[in-house]
Amino acid sequence: MADSAAEARIDQALVTRIRLDGDRCAFEQLVRRNQGMVRAQLRRLLHGDEAMADDLAQEAFILAWRKLDQFRGEARFSSWLYRIAYTCFLQAHRIPSKHDSVDGEMIEQLQAPTHAIDLQLDLERAMQRLSAAEQAVLLHCVQLGLSHEEAAYVLAMPLGTVKTHAARGKAKLKTWLADWRDARTEKAS
Amino acid sequence: MNESHDDTIEALLRQQFEGPVADDGFSERLMQQLPPRRCRTAWPMWLGVLIGVAACWICLANVPLLDAGWRDWLAGELSMPVISMWLTMAFMSLLALGWGLADSRDR
Repeated sequence: MADSAAEARIDQALVTRIRLDGDRCAFEQLVRRNQGMVRAQLRRLLHGDEAMADDLAQEAFILAWRKLDQFRGEARFSSWLYRIAYTCFLQAHRIPSKHDSVDGEMIEQLQAPTHAIDLQLDLERAMQRLSAAEQAVLLHCVQLGLSHEEAAYVLAMPLGTVKTHAARGKAKLKTWLADWRDARTEKAS
Repeated sequence: MNESHDDTIEALLRQQFEGPVADDGFSERLMQQLPPRRCRTAWPMWLGVLIGVAACWICLANVPLLDAGWRDWLAGELSMPVISMWLTMAFMSLLALGWGLADSRDR
């Protein structure tokens, strides 16, 4: 917790340097510090499409550079970046692309890492069955480690809706993966 | 809802997440494509201030209380219109100060 607060302070200091004299080196540091998680966020949202994720990440960082004066510090800089990246994703998703025409079987092939164990494959498939909003909420709250408040800010959703989607998504996963739990219980007994 | 099973689902989801992506030249490529930063020009703000002051002056020039207050102030008399004018100015300054402080706290 203290670490993440310190990280946020460093980001804030770099933002101040850019605002004062347009310091490109400070922005480069911000990019280096945040690109990993922003690209990971977009890769998950795009179901592993690395090229598209990198294109959108680049678009998001350039937008952040242009709109930096609009960052008022009401959220962490990383959350602000996640929000821009998510908006870029939504805008790109509105335009039908070749990625949308890929059938379900193809998606499973793309997503399935060769070394994955069955449980992970089942979890991946179960995640695909969730609604887009539930997937987005679980990605941000559980996998990216944001609080419900931060996820609400990033996804531009009311806090109550985020909590509902998180609870509903986990409940669905729990039901769909119940066989794994039962098998494990039987094995233990 | 079973809390421990919730934890298991969360743990599985975290395990499934690959974590941050390695840079692999991404930052360098991005910095090469970064456009020059546009400097915010100050003249529109000052033009707005000038227009605002002129509009205030035109609206208030014929108000008798302000007119009398201005004349008494120049004459060095501490009359009722002068005190009213000072109080109004002090109130407006405090309002601007409060606004400025609230804005800076938000930033």
